[in-house]
Amino acid sequence: MGVMIGLEVHCQLNTDSKLFCSDSQDHRGKRPNENTCPICLGFPGSKPKISKKAIEHGMTIALALNCNISRTMFFSRKTYFYPDMSKNYQITQYEVPLATEGLLSVGDLKIRIRRVHIEEDPARLVHVGGDITNSEYTLMDYNRSGVPLAEIVTEPDFTSPKQTRAFLEKLMNMLEHTGVYDPGKEATIRVDANVSIDGGERVEVKNITGFENVEKALNYEIIRQNSLKRSQMKIARETRHFDATTSTTKSLRKKEYEDDYGYIFDPDLPMVRIDDEWLAKIKRLMPELPDQRVARFVSQYGLTEYYAGVIVYTDKRFADFYEECCRSNGHPDIVAKWAVNYLLKSLNWRSEKISDSKVTPKGFVEFLALIENGKLNERFAKELIKEYVDTGVSPGELLYKTKLNISEEDLRDIIAKVLKENGRAIEDYRSGRKESLQFLIGLVLKETKKQSNPNEISKLLTEMMPR
Amino acid sequence: MKEHLERVKAQDFDNGEFIEKVMQSASNISNEYSAFITMAKDKPNGILPISVKDNICTKGIRTTAGSKILDTYVPPFDATAVSKAKASGGFVIGKTAMDEFGFGTFSTNCAYGAPKNPHNKERVCGGSSGGAACVAYAADFPHIAIAQSTGGSITAPAAFTGTVGLTPTYGLVSRWGLIDYANSMDRIGVIGKCSYDAALGLSIISGYDPLDSTSMNRGATDYVKSIGNDVKGMKIGVPKEYFDGVDKDITENVWKSIKLLESMGATYEEFSLKLTKYATPAYYIIALSEASTNLAKFCGIRYGIEKQISGNYDEYFSAIRELGFGTEAKRRIILGTYARMSGYRDAYYIRALKIRGKIISEFKAAFKRYDSIATPSMPILPPKFSEINSLTPAQTYSMDRLTTAPNLCGFPTISVPAGTINGLPSGIQLIADHLNENKLVALASACE
Ligand SMILES: [Zn+2]
Repeated sequence: MGVMIGLEVHCQLNTDSKLFCSDSQDHRGKRPNENTCPICLGFPGSKPKISKKAIEHGMTIALALNCNISRTMFFSRKTYFYPDMSKNYQITQYEVPLATEGLLSVGDLKIRIRRVHIEEDPARLVHVGGDITNSEYTLMDYNRSGVPLAEIVTEPDFTSPKQTRAFLEKLMNMLEHTGVYDPGKEATIRVDANVSIDGGERVEVKNITGFENVEKALNYEIIRQNSLKRSQMKIARETRHFDATTSTTKSLRKKEYEDDYGYIFDPDLPMVRIDDEWLAKIKRLMPELPDQRVARFVSQYGLTEYYAGVIVYTDKRFADFYEECCRSNGHPDIVAKWAVNYLLKSLNWRSEKISDSKVTPKGFVEFLALIENGKLNERFAKELIKEYVDTGVSPGELLYKTKLNISEEDLRDIIAKVLKENGRAIEDYRSGRKESLQFLIGLVLKETKKQSNPNEISKLLTEMMPR
Repeated sequence: MKEHLERVKAQDFDNGEFIEKVMQSASNISNEYSAFITMAKDKPNGILPISVKDNICTKGIRTTAGSKILDTYVPPFDATAVSKAKASGGFVIGKTAMDEFGFGTFSTNCAYGAPKNPHNKERVCGGSSGGAACVAYAADFPHIAIAQSTGGSITAPAAFTGTVGLTPTYGLVSRWGLIDYANSMDRIGVIGKCSYDAALGLSIISGYDPLDSTSMNRGATDYVKSIGNDVKGMKIGVPKEYFDGVDKDITENVWKSIKLLESMGATYEEFSLKLTKYATPAYYIIALSEASTNLAKFCGIRYGIEKQISGNYDEYFSAIRELGFGTEAKRRIILGTYARMSGYRDAYYIRALKIRGKIISEFKAAFKRYDSIATPSMPILPPKFSEINSLTPAQTYSMDRLTTAPNLCGFPTISVPAGTINGLPSGIQLIADHLNENKLVALASACE
């Protein structure tokens, strides 16, 4: 049977308000517990009121994942006692979720989606002086309490940790394209992963942030379970916690039987009905999805599948960046070549995303123009792009500042040639006539058509001068 | 009340003197009958004295829901019913006594003392809005009691104190600010000395509220207009199941009221509500399932008493809840939790929801034939405190059997005095289809 993995992905939705109150969904830069009200704090006497926008975002996700959308649905109370919940129950969906039976393809891999539902995020716990298992004390921040989440549950269709990462990357790209998820607002995606080997007991690793960590957690879990099996020990059914600092998982609690949350319908929230008109509206407003965008890039910009795929699947903002550049540069193929082969490489080297970098479409177009106008040769352009990504100084300015429109390698060739042809000047310099160096620098400058920096030449000249 | 409002209108009225007199009198009632948990301290301002059941939030006035676990809770907001009353000139005189979280039929499960029946202090007021009904009867000033019902908590004390208790259609009065017992049944209503007071109170506190998703989107209605409306031609159904095991004298009094209505041109017919015996079990299963989740928040983290206790959070929660909840609250939490756990959920909770649907259909069919259904309000006369102790929980729960069905289904009811027996009041309960409060007010005023 091998490895079986299923995922539960929790995505914070990009609405204006929280799921059941008018507090902002976005709580960046706020003091702990500032972004709260009687509703999301669960004050006695307060009542929730559903955000229509959150349901619409959920519908968008469901459509993107090819799900069946329920036309009537309920919210339920999932009761368990835990300090991160002000009410000790979470409002979620149980019997009738928003959507069921979807599918997401990642290359040849087809992952079935079991359900998509909407629920509220609990508060954030800050474990002071340790982690959840050993901290001295714990602080509670309810700023996050009540933020709308979409929970996407897959069937256990993954057979390797690597597949989960590819799936999550594709899923996130898709969520970003639909606009329901905005990583710019520090929205998070948290993953619970279920893993079993050879049909054995299922272990759940809870609350993993970061796709790399999902892969690490699962790799560790599989090794751990295999070694237990080899030494003929029992794999216990349990919930584990991923420790990102050691890349290991630790046991949180053993599960003797299924969790029993005693679900009831939330009697404060009436049934939600999705009529034809509402569904049609969401379908009409459905943004372009990544696969559609790749196809469009191929037809509209004449790109190869490879280039189109790299640009779109890197992340939505990279694809947006590319399109923005194409608006002011008439050669989409050249834009694609430089963007994918050099810009992306430099960004990856710095582990940066285009949206966090100092690179702008304007700067990149200016850079491409310098190449097209012959002011910048290709060899040197490859170095300049790195400097641009590093510093954010516009390519034109970089070129002006350094005057170094010549690669170091080329410069060394020219200097070697000048030195070879001017043995006399070298001897003069050696006998103490410092002005000979200036003469040699002048010659090199002339050779490079003044496209080089005298300081740089001086440095290289003294270094390369025969002893 | 009517005269009071006319005096106010004619400005033949010294407000400061009036308020002082009211507060003094309310304080006397509190001392005499233990009707209040908390009295308003700040000098109030307004023309219409209102008392508020203690599970309804009042801004700046302690609101305990009758429980020690909320001993120090002072809400930062008013319930919508309270803010609407204030907007109509109402001022809060105090918070009335009740069974802890509404868990009781007699107002004897009280963490702050049980209110005494103003007809006879050895007897109970009925519950859970016991304090509200007590003040409504005892007040020598114009007054409206904002009360609340989940399974009969307005009808029972109204019958036991000889007052008029109006429980409106579910969704007619906003629940925003009501500390939940069972959200799918909780209704805020009014208790007054007469049907005029009840109708006026409902006119003031009802109406759409966006803060409560189950609030009905309809405009304000003046129910006072229905006072004294002709009852000629109205058809009244009398369900025989609702007289099983009812005190003989009470049955007699209820029939007298029905005959009185007949003498005014109404007609009546006996009929059968076959699902009656399922209503009380279904009510308790749903109510307690909901209640057990509502009470989960009282664990000593955000709500509930706070204490330095060693151990993990589970142990902490248990210790706080052990300390803060009374016996009946603990019993109902355990029953409610059991009814919704997997393995029992389908047999109890889900089944009770289905039964609720069937009972609604049975009543709806009856309302095609009748304008109102008349029953006794309570099967017994107000018992003595000493008699309550010998009742088992199941016997106590069965005292709600005449009120659980309309509460389970959200139908409006009014309980009107139906004469006294040995100086103790009895009541007739009139039930109508959703949003037919006007019919109830007309019939009630005809009974008076
Ligand atoms: Zn809030």
